[in-house]
Amino acid sequence: MAMSMRRTLVGLYRGARYSLKNVESSVEARHPLPLVLPVRTKKRYFIPPAVGMKGKKHEDPEAQARAAGIVIQQQFMERPINIACTAGVFDPYIPPEGDARLSTLSKEGLKQRTEQIRQSAASQLAIRKIKEHDSLFSTKTFAEQAQEIFIEAHRALTQFNKEKLHSLVTERCYPEMTRGNRHKTIRWSFVESLEPPRVVHARCPDMVTKGNLYGQVTVRVHSKQTLAIYDRFGRLMLGSEEQPKDVLEYLIIERHLMNPYGRWRLHGKIVPSWAPAKDPVIRTILIPGPQLKPWEEYDTLNHEVPKPAAVQWYK
Amino acid sequence: MAAAGTGSGFVFVRNVCGLFRDSRLAVLARPQQLSWFHSSSSLSTKNWEKKNLKVFPPQLPEEARRPAEVHHCRRQIKYSKDKMWYLAKMIRGMSIDEAVAQLEFNDKKGAKIMKEVLLEAQEMAVKTHNVEYKSNLHVAESFSSKGKYLKRIRYHGRGMFGIMDKVYCHYFVKLVEGPPPRPEQKTGLDQAREYVQKLKDRTVIHSL
Repeated sequence: MAMSMRRTLVGLYRGARYSLKNVESSVEARHPLPLVLPVRTKKRYFIPPAVGMKGKKHEDPEAQARAAGIVIQQQFMERPINIACTAGVFDPYIPPEGDARLSTLSKEGLKQRTEQIRQSAASQLAIRKIKEHDSLFSTKTFAEQAQEIFIEAHRALTQFNKEKLHSLVTERCYPEMTRGNRHKTIRWSFVESLEPPRVVHARCPDMVTKGNLYGQVTVRVHSKQTLAIYDRFGRLMLGSEEQPKDVLEYLIIERHLMNPYGRWRLHGKIVPSWAPAKDPVIRTILIPGPQLKPWEEYDTLNHEVPKPAAVQWYK
Repeated sequence: MAAAGTGSGFVFVRNVCGLFRDSRLAVLARPQQLSWFHSSSSLSTKNWEKKNLKVFPPQLPEEARRPAEVHHCRRQIKYSKDKMWYLAKMIRGMSIDEAVAQLEFNDKKGAKIMKEVLLEAQEMAVKTHNVEYKSNLHVAESFSSKGKYLKRIRYHGRGMFGIMDKVYCHYFVKLVEGPPPRPEQKTGLDQAREYVQKLKDRTVIHSL
């Protein structure tokens, strides 16, 4: 679309001269001339970028404003952050080897069964501190409460009810529970509890300042659950809906004691090092082999797949 | 008089039914659609990325396994959409390994970019979308479209100028799990059979 700039400019000048002449003649008012309307040029919908911008140096608008005498109030970009949970598990409980494997009739089994929380002095101290701040706390009823929180939280996860999940689960636990699950269908059900839940451990860590107390209580839960995870397309990825499994878990429930509106929420889980291996995912996974140079050959017989060390980890 | 009244009433009802046969008023009879303009409020056009967020309900064990799909795109590629179309048309229907191999040895500028997009999509499929084997994918859809152009002046002689478009394009690809679908081969005998059948299916009107 080629246009003539000169033609329109010439037209403009001519128009301007005509209107000027007009003003002078109308003052004398000898021959009344018809009303002259200012003529517009054709409206340009595309205005090309101005020539001569390339060599322009970048000016400092701040320095210009200061020179002009404009004072701008210093704006501090601050935002208060409320931390409602601890970053991890303080002094995690180490579950005894063979828990829930030994029969209750054997000597070791009886010893474990009669193990009382009074053995651990630190836990007793922590429970006393918790009772100071939360008068309704009681070791006997808390275990049942903890199991209920656990069941409700997992039900909310299957429905993916964000608000309910945030009220039942701490901010540290939420991403661990929900990462990768947004576009998957999870079907989980709590069949029954095999043993009554027990409080096994308690600690009262403080964050940042000395008085900012949080209470962390570990509860041992032995139950039967069914879990089936379907991927985005409705295909089964893990587990099965009909086959229930016996699950021994150590749940960590936390509450911000200093906050009067704080609630007991699920903070994490402890997986002991001697726990049985989980069921494999229903797919083949490629484990990358060793990086070979062009002259090297891959020795199939001697190559071993590195297995991760059996360490207790809390999640 | 009563008979006349009912008769006119019947004719009136008939006329109303006739009105309802008209498509616009028939639409009004449907309670769910009361306006003739689309009322979706979103201005965003990034719909291809949203296709990856659709979740299907879990399948029953007797249903056929649904093949996994991955949608991927790259926006504002500095290339012409018409030139990109040739490459997009070339890889339609190929398996992913074949497509990547063809693009790797193609001399066009768009081929390098397309190859990156395909490899990204393959990685996404394996990591996020539960695709088991990375080679078990084929290109189901592949097309290019116009991006947002920048406008500059192109100077001509005699003070004339033109508006030059700096072209950009988008490239979209959909990978589906499974081997590429084979186009059915029609033999000469099949075509002849079809032709004869078409002749036999003709309806002859006003015949004895």
